Amino acid sequence: MIKYLLLAPVLTGILCLISKKQKQIEIINLLGSVATLLLGLALVISVFQDGVIVTWKDVLFADAFSAYLVLIVSLVGFATSVYSVGYMGYEIKHGAMDLKRLRLYYCLFHIFMFSMLLVGVTNILGLWIAIELTTLVSAPLIILYSKKSSVEAAWKYLIICTVGITFALFGTILTYYAAVQVFDGSEGAIDWLSLVSVADQFDPVLMKIAFIFVLIGYGTKAGLAPMHTWLPDAHSEAPSPVSAMLSGVLLNCAMYAIIRFRTLTAPSTGTEFTSNLMIAFGLLSVGIAVPFIILQKDYKRLLAYSSVEHMGIIAIGIGFGGILGISGALLHMFNHAMTKPLMFFGAGNVLLKYGTKEIDKVSGVVRSMPFTGTMLLLGGLAITGAPPFGIFISEFMVLAAGFSQGNIISTVLVLLFIIMIFAGFFSHISRMALGTPNSDVRGEVSRWTLGAMALLMVFVLVPGLYIPPQLYEMIMKVVEVLVVP
Amino acid sequence: MGIMFGSELMESIIALIMVSTFMVLGSKQLHTSVSAFQFQSFLLACIAGIVAFSTGRIDIYIVAVLTLIIKAILIPYLFVYVIRELKVKREVELFINISPSLLIGGVLVVISYYLVRSIGNNSQLSSYALSTSMAMVLIGMFFMITRKKAISQMLGILIMENGLFLAAISLTYGMPLLVEVGIFFDILVGTLIMGVLIFRINTTFETIDTDRLTTLME
Repeated sequence: MIKYLLLAPVLTGILCLISKKQKQIEIINLLGSVATLLLGLALVISVFQDGVIVTWKDVLFADAFSAYLVLIVSLVGFATSVYSVGYMGYEIKHGAMDLKRLRLYYCLFHIFMFSMLLVGVTNILGLWIAIELTTLVSAPLIILYSKKSSVEAAWKYLIICTVGITFALFGTILTYYAAVQVFDGSEGAIDWLSLVSVADQFDPVLMKIAFIFVLIGYGTKAGLAPMHTWLPDAHSEAPSPVSAMLSGVLLNCAMYAIIRFRTLTAPSTGTEFTSNLMIAFGLLSVGIAVPFIILQKDYKRLLAYSSVEHMGIIAIGIGFGGILGISGALLHMFNHAMTKPLMFFGAGNVLLKYGTKEIDKVSGVVRSMPFTGTMLLLGGLAITGAPPFGIFISEFMVLAAGFSQGNIISTVLVLLFIIMIFAGFFSHISRMALGTPNSDVRGEVSRWTLGAMALLMVFVLVPGLYIPPQLYEMIMKVVEVLVVP
Repeated sequence: MGIMFGSELMESIIALIMVSTFMVLGSKQLHTSVSAFQFQSFLLACIAGIVAFSTGRIDIYIVAVLTLIIKAILIPYLFVYVIRELKVKREVELFINISPSLLIGGVLVVISYYLVRSIGNNSQLSSYALSTSMAMVLIGMFFMITRKKAISQMLGILIMENGLFLAAISLTYGMPLLVEVGIFFDILVGTLIMGVLIFRINTTFETIDTDRLTTLME
């Protein structure tokens, strides 16, 4: 099952690369992402019915948390591949792209999907390889247009994330060393299940050093402050569908890695150590986003800084811990993964029609592009945590966990930051969406882009109104994997 | 883990690796740094060879050969190629001069030594290897942030990765082969993509000094 799930995007990528016509490439892309989505859903169902899957010499493995990540990646991947048909089709029609680049784009897009799916379904060392692979595949996607600014952004991204990932590998090797000491001489196990089962016997000092390296390393990739400096550049310079994938799912993949290592570290060092670190990095991330969001001039950077904020909230939720904190953080991962791509899709449409990324030069989107404008407004409300959208619920859960754990100061700080971000962010978005159009822009980009946005809007709205029992049950199963006694 | 054959030999090679790290840090010419890196990679391959010989594991022999081919031959060649094609100036340009950098490098070594000493239950060899590798990671990072040229930053990352490799091979006697191959593949592809990007930077900015990359300042 896992093998087929990994094979589907690779095959699609290769087929896209060797196709001749634009129509052909687009059809292969759509069929491929439908196949990936269906296989992903099949994996999720089989994990929740029959429990953990281990195949192929223990290299591939899937438990509830893996399935949860696979669900997020394949859902957003599907929506983005639909959006890409509209977005890239428009670019081709207006001469900003050629067929050669289109082929490369779809090929890399599906390999990118493969690398992110791999993050979820492998062991601790494979995880590192998969995350490094995501960097290597997404860097060429950022410089697709080879503009001066995107070359700079890609270089920063590649260098900073490679250094980060090197730190993470060091932490991983130290963890492996701790495991080798416990298993005494025989080859140390590297799959999550056997590691977790002996995690309480690890050398606590070694694990403390290992966790710091892992947190800084994967934290760089997850966009936690102060290692987030590459993020606004890369996410704003990439083509909009790529920005959606980077912000929506790639950040979650890195966060997944941190959360996994927390379950290995906390049994020996005590949860206080990991919690304090995660709360500190999380608070810094949310806090740093405030001024950059309020004073922002570029709407794609605005969305990128909002991603820094939300990654901070997830880290804080995990840091608060307990069933409420962890399930809140998990639900927040899902909600952010649905809402942020929706916003980037809307921003992409605006960029195509208005031709500028400056907030001040865009107004009246609701009138010129009614559907995109409405989605931007609603998405803006959703992403800043207004009811009745999903993010409101998950932020509420995280804050409630903070209060119930007695972390009053940090919880109040988060609450304050979130309110300031709400005001700053929403004033920018409403200025763009409302008012009279300042140029003769008329009409939507393409039906494909609208379909992708409508699909995501369902997932943005539903968890806010009521949490389906399936999703609830799923999150509870993941919490079981992650709670450290 | 039992006492290993040739642990004294290992210790002296690790000492030489430390020396080579300082050679990279202290040389005024770019191609000397690259040669020092090449020497360091060669020493790492030797360490992998010794570990393979004393444990008798075939997969570690493969790792030793891969290290030799990829890190000691292919990647240095790539550096020489980029330097020649882009006609990079031979002298390195840095934000902090050579002698203070060497001093800071020394401080980093002391810090790593003390950090590693706080971890209990290590044999002498493993704490020696661990402190050296941690020092290499830190020095590699320091090297990166104090050099102006994109190509030197790439070299810094590779030194960090060599440090990791030292930790992996001497602490745990190598990781499963599949993983090692994956890591080598990632490093090689990463280096290639960075190389391509350096060419891109050169054509769009007409320099590879990274302090000229200022389009995206806030």
